[in-house]
Amino acid sequence: MRVLSTIKFTALRMIRNYIVLILLLVVPIILITFFSFILSGVVTENGVPYINENAMIMVLVFQLFGGSIVMYLIYHDLFTENKMRMYALPFNQTMYAFSIMLCGALYSILLGILLMVYSQFVLGVIWKNWFWMIYIISLMAILSIIVCLIFTFSVKNYKIAERLSELYGVGFVVLAGLFFPLPRNAIFDFLGSYGNPLTLSMGAIRDMSLTNTSSAWFQANILLGVIAILFMVMLLLGRRRIG
Amino acid sequence: MTVFKFALKRSFSNIANLVFLTLFPVACIFLPRGEEWPFLPYGYQYFGIIILFIGIRLAAIILEDREKGVVKRLAVAPISHFNYLSQNLLAYSVILILQCAIVVYGGVLFGQELYQPGWLFLLYVSFSFASLAIALAWISIYRKKDVAFLIYMSLIFIVVVLGGLIIPVEMFPDLLKRMAVILPTYWLGQGLNWVVFGEEILDFLIINGVLWLYTIVFVVIGSTRKI
Repeated sequence: MRVLSTIKFTALRMIRNYIVLILLLVVPIILITFFSFILSGVVTENGVPYINENAMIMVLVFQLFGGSIVMYLIYHDLFTENKMRMYALPFNQTMYAFSIMLCGALYSILLGILLMVYSQFVLGVIWKNWFWMIYIISLMAILSIIVCLIFTFSVKNYKIAERLSELYGVGFVVLAGLFFPLPRNAIFDFLGSYGNPLTLSMGAIRDMSLTNTSSAWFQANILLGVIAILFMVMLLLGRRRIG
Repeated sequence: MTVFKFALKRSFSNIANLVFLTLFPVACIFLPRGEEWPFLPYGYQYFGIIILFIGIRLAAIILEDREKGVVKRLAVAPISHFNYLSQNLLAYSVILILQCAIVVYGGVLFGQELYQPGWLFLLYVSFSFASLAIALAWISIYRKKDVAFLIYMSLIFIVVVLGGLIIPVEMFPDLLKRMAVILPTYWLGQGLNWVVFGEEILDFLIINGVLWLYTIVFVVIGSTRKI
C-alpha cells in the first residue's frame, strides 16, 4: 500500500496542469454562460427551460475528454520519461497505474461538479437529481479514462493515440447529432441512440427527471456493462505493456 | 525555392496531418443540408472551423522549427528570415487554396446547391489567409507546440460559437451581436449569407476586405523573428 503515499502528488500534478483546466473548466464555463444568454426564455416541449438541457449536455460532453490527463501521466511515468525511476521504486507499478486512474476519475468528476455548481448558482439552472447526475458523470469519466488507456496501450505512436482520444470525444458528439442531423439508417440510428455513451447518459438523466426510473437505470446499466467489458480489454492490453 | 519544396513535403509527412489536410475537407462535401438554417449545406458552414484547425496545424511547423533549434541554424545559414518565412507561408497558402478549390468545386460536381461557387471559393480563400495569419501570430508567443495547439483549440471553440457559425447571429442578445463583429468568424458567416442572398457586390468586397485586414495585421505581428 505504499502507492497511497504517491496519490497526493498525482493529485497535485493534475491540478497544476493548467491546460487541462482551461480545456475542461474554463471553456465549458464560457460556453454554458454564452448559451444561457442566447437561450434564456426558450422552453422545450416538456416545459423545461432549455438552458437546463444545454448545461446538462455541456457537462456530459466535456466528460468525454476527461481521460486525456490520465493518458498523459501514465505515458510519461510508466512508458517514457520517468519509467526507470518508477520501476526502481519499491511499489507495485500496476497499483500505481490504478491510483493514477482513480485520481483522474475523481478529478474529472470534480470538474463536472464544479460546472454543475457554477451553472446552478450563477445561471440559475435547476438540477433535479444531484446524486443521479453525479453517478452518470462518474460513469462517463471512468469510461473516457478506460477508452483513452486502451488507445495508449494498443497504439505504438503516442501522438496517434492522443488524436484517437480526441476523435472519440468529437466523434460521439457528432454522432449524437448535436452538430447536424445525421442520415437515417440502421447504423447511424444505433450510433445515435444505444451505441453512443453521450446519448445514453443524456437519456438516463432525462428519464430520471421525468421519473421514468426503470428506463433511466436501464440506460445507465448499459454504460456500466460497457465499462466492465472495456475494463477487461484494458487489463489484457495493459498486461503486455506494464509489468 | 528549396524551403518551399520541403515545407510542402513536411506538411504531408505525418498521418495526423494527412487526415486533417485531405480527409476532413473531403468529408465536408458530403454533409447534408439543414432545414431552415444554415442556408448552405452543413459541410460548407462548418468548413470554416476546419480551416482554422488546418491553419494552426500548418503554422505549428514553424514553431516546431523554433523548438528544435532549426531557426538558429537558419540564422547563420545564407538565407534570410524573410525568405524562410515567405516560402513557408507560400507553401501553406498553396495547400489551403487547393483545399478550398477541392471543397467548392467537388461540391459543384457532387450536386450541392452552392448558389455562387466562384464567390464562395474567393471567400474561403480570404478566410484561409486570415486563419493562417492569426495562427502565425499565435505561435509567435509560444515555445511549446502542444501548449500552443491545445489553447488555440479551446479558443477556436469559443470564437466559432461567438462568431455565429454554429448558432445564427440573429439569435444573439444585442451586446453579443455587436461584439461578434470583432471576430473573423463573424465575417465568414456574413460572407456565407451574402453568397446565398447577396446581390450588391460592394458588400462582398467589404467582407473580404475585413478578412484581408486581419491577414495583414496578424502577419505583421507574427513575422518578427524569434530565436
